[in-house]
Amino acid sequence: MADVKKVKKESTDPVDIENRIKALCQQFPHGITDQVIQNDMPNLEAQQRAMAINRLLSLGQLDLLRNSSGLLYRMKDAQTASKMKGSDNQEKLVYQVIEDAGNKGIWSRDIRYKSNLPLTEINKILKNLESKKLIKAVKSVAASKKVYMLYNLQPDRSVTGGAWYSDQDFESEFVEVLNQQCFKFLQSKAEVARDSKQNPMVQRNSSFATSHEVWKCICELGISKVDLSMEDIETILNTLIYDGKVEMTIIAAKEGTVGSVDGQMKLYRGVNPIIQPTGLVKTPCGLCPVFDDCHEGGEISPSNCVYMAEWLNF
Amino acid sequence: MTAQEVRLCGLLLQEHFGEVVERIGTHLLRGGAQNLRTIANETNTPLDLVKKSLCVLVQHGACEFGSGRRGPGSPVEYRANCERVLRVLRYPRYIYTAKTLYGDTGELIVEEVLQRGHMTMSNTVKTVADRLTHNMEEGRSMEYSEVVSAFSKLVETHFLQRCPPVAEMGTAASSTTPSNPDCYKLPHVTLIGRGKRRRSSDDSEEQRGGKKAKMEVESCGDEGIYWQVNFERFHQHFRDQAVISAVASKLDQTSSEIVRTMLRMSEVTTTQTAAYTQPLSANEIFRSLPPNYSISRPILDQYLSLLVDDPVGADLDSPPHIPTLNLQRALANLARATLESVVQERFGSRSARIFRLLLRKRHLEQKQVEDFAMIPAKEAKDMLYTLLSENLVQLQEIPKTPDHAPSRTFYLYTVNQLPTARLLLQHCYKTVANLIERRLFETKENKRLLEKSQRIEAILASLQASGAEPEQLTEVEEMITAPERQQLEALRHHINKLDSTENQVDETVFLLESYIFSTKTK
Repeated sequence: MADVKKVKKESTDPVDIENRIKALCQQFPHGITDQVIQNDMPNLEAQQRAMAINRLLSLGQLDLLRNSSGLLYRMKDAQTASKMKGSDNQEKLVYQVIEDAGNKGIWSRDIRYKSNLPLTEINKILKNLESKKLIKAVKSVAASKKVYMLYNLQPDRSVTGGAWYSDQDFESEFVEVLNQQCFKFLQSKAEVARDSKQNPMVQRNSSFATSHEVWKCICELGISKVDLSMEDIETILNTLIYDGKVEMTIIAAKEGTVGSVDGQMKLYRGVNPIIQPTGLVKTPCGLCPVFDDCHEGGEISPSNCVYMAEWLNF
Repeated sequence: MTAQEVRLCGLLLQEHFGEVVERIGTHLLRGGAQNLRTIANETNTPLDLVKKSLCVLVQHGACEFGSGRRGPGSPVEYRANCERVLRVLRYPRYIYTAKTLYGDTGELIVEEVLQRGHMTMSNTVKTVADRLTHNMEEGRSMEYSEVVSAFSKLVETHFLQRCPPVAEMGTAASSTTPSNPDCYKLPHVTLIGRGKRRRSSDDSEEQRGGKKAKMEVESCGDEGIYWQVNFERFHQHFRDQAVISAVASKLDQTSSEIVRTMLRMSEVTTTQTAAYTQPLSANEIFRSLPPNYSISRPILDQYLSLLVDDPVGADLDSPPHIPTLNLQRALANLARATLESVVQERFGSRSARIFRLLLRKRHLEQKQVEDFAMIPAKEAKDMLYTLLSENLVQLQEIPKTPDHAPSRTFYLYTVNQLPTARLLLQHCYKTVANLIERRLFETKENKRLLEKSQRIEAILASLQASGAEPEQLTEVEEMITAPERQQLEALRHHINKLDSTENQVDETVFLLESYIFSTKTK
């Protein structure tokens, strides 16, 4: 009788358990907890369950995750499972860490911290993965270090710098050109409004341009090889504000009107400066690089000032 | 009283009043209140010279006297007023303003009063009439009544005011002018007569006439009522002009006219330090607009609402339909524009961009500055450090940990408008002093040449008066050689340039001073 019992017990052999667990995983694609397995096979001992799960993990068919209430087991994607067939555990670990970093990529130092592997190992693994075309290295403009990310992902804007950077170089001339174009557009609009000689309210309102209008105009001019979004144009217009050439107001706009963001629209308008260059800068002293060293009777003094002599003879 | 201010005051005193006054004046400025004996001993000048220079300074309002520190019995102490001495720099601007507002007569009146410090009305009228007559053609002379009318106009608009009565020894110091009720009251004096032309050949007649004139003066009846120029009123006028021109360049001509009307209407009612003008109703503005600006009432309302909405320069506050001008904000905006313009001219437009960015956003990290201003990191760093070394930009540390470890501290860049304005003001004073010194240096270098040309001119004048031959005249003229003539021309050009530049820098000084002053009285 004891033998029969033993046989009966062992009829739940490991392969069956694994298959059962796999089937459960497929039923719940978001992952299953220990609790669910226990409910399904109540007569399964904890030890056997743990063994089965470990086998599945080492075979690379299950993913082990942790959430707030405990451990979760999830079916691994068949494709990725096949990819990692040839690699060993360490590589899989590193690959997982890089995958988690997603769009932004991750430094080799951070990989080391997360996986607790020595540097030489990491480097070997990274080279391996790169040759298998599973990951790639992208040079980040922010940290000027290489970050690693999955092969088929597009690097995030913060890494490449967005529209203003091409190959790690800040495109100053491009920004300057855009700057001038936007300013000219706004200025011509203001001039047209001023010449129209209508009553002042209408004049002022027609001299305003929304950021959407400016964006459309710049796109039409076609000076940019990269696609510019409205936020990019707004950053350019902000620099014009800091140049003192343009002012901005925000008005409430109905949701759904073209160009409105969160129920607001930004309007820009070209302005003139409120004073002429001030008196101090019309003298050589106002622009003098050695102003603080200048004393009567010293090496540098008003009486023998070279800048003044040049300026007087102008 | 900073070192730069004292230096500039010394130069101004020397140019206008001479060396002795300069010595006494600088000593008083540096040393604070002192009594007569101390001044005489420390400057090694004889007592009567000290007395005379103190008289000059008091006459011009640059020095005040009061009872000493140890109570009414101690010797009188004298105190110099640095601000008043710096006003001397602005005399040309005052005279020019009077000319634009009240014509030649006004100009001469203000000039005379500025030169003498305090003057009675009758004296002024007589002197001005004489001067005007001198410049007119033969056979015409200036009526006193015209001069009197110009004088009374100046007093009505508060450009001239009575000097406060001198306090007796032992009583409190004289009250400030605004509380003096008779400040702007014209004395009842009838001045009838015409200006006398002064001819060089009528010297003997003049002497006899001079005695008669003296007797006439004594019977005029306004003894003891002295008049001085009301600097505050002129400053108010300059400030109004600055605001109007800012509005004109920002918006358009019509808006500036409206602002000018508003300011003119509240000229006499607003005190110097008021932050706001008196509230005026839109109706009053409409009625007071100059007739050639015929705009209708609804358009006026639109302009007013435009002025209210204007974000920069926005100095118009409007509780419903009662527009008032926020003068304090206007001054702050003008001062800010001045600072930005200095940074732009001195360091370039990109640094100006960073400067304006910091003014708007107050505190920023280095990375944020680069991102907002769209300037490559290396260049932005360079520019920020240059501005920092010139003290135009300050660094604020915010530590994350109690030990201020540099790697764990935020470093924020910031611009404080008021201290930067003060710094620039001192720069302006130093610049003006440099310009004056250069002018004196140039004059000294070419002293010999100048003296020679003066001699030649005197000879020429005397020859012409005694009717000489043309050949003699040309002979005399040729005593100055061509290169010397060129040198003289160049010298004249230099001195004019230096002079006009002093006035331009003085405009900057005025803007910054009014801004700093307006922030003090809160």
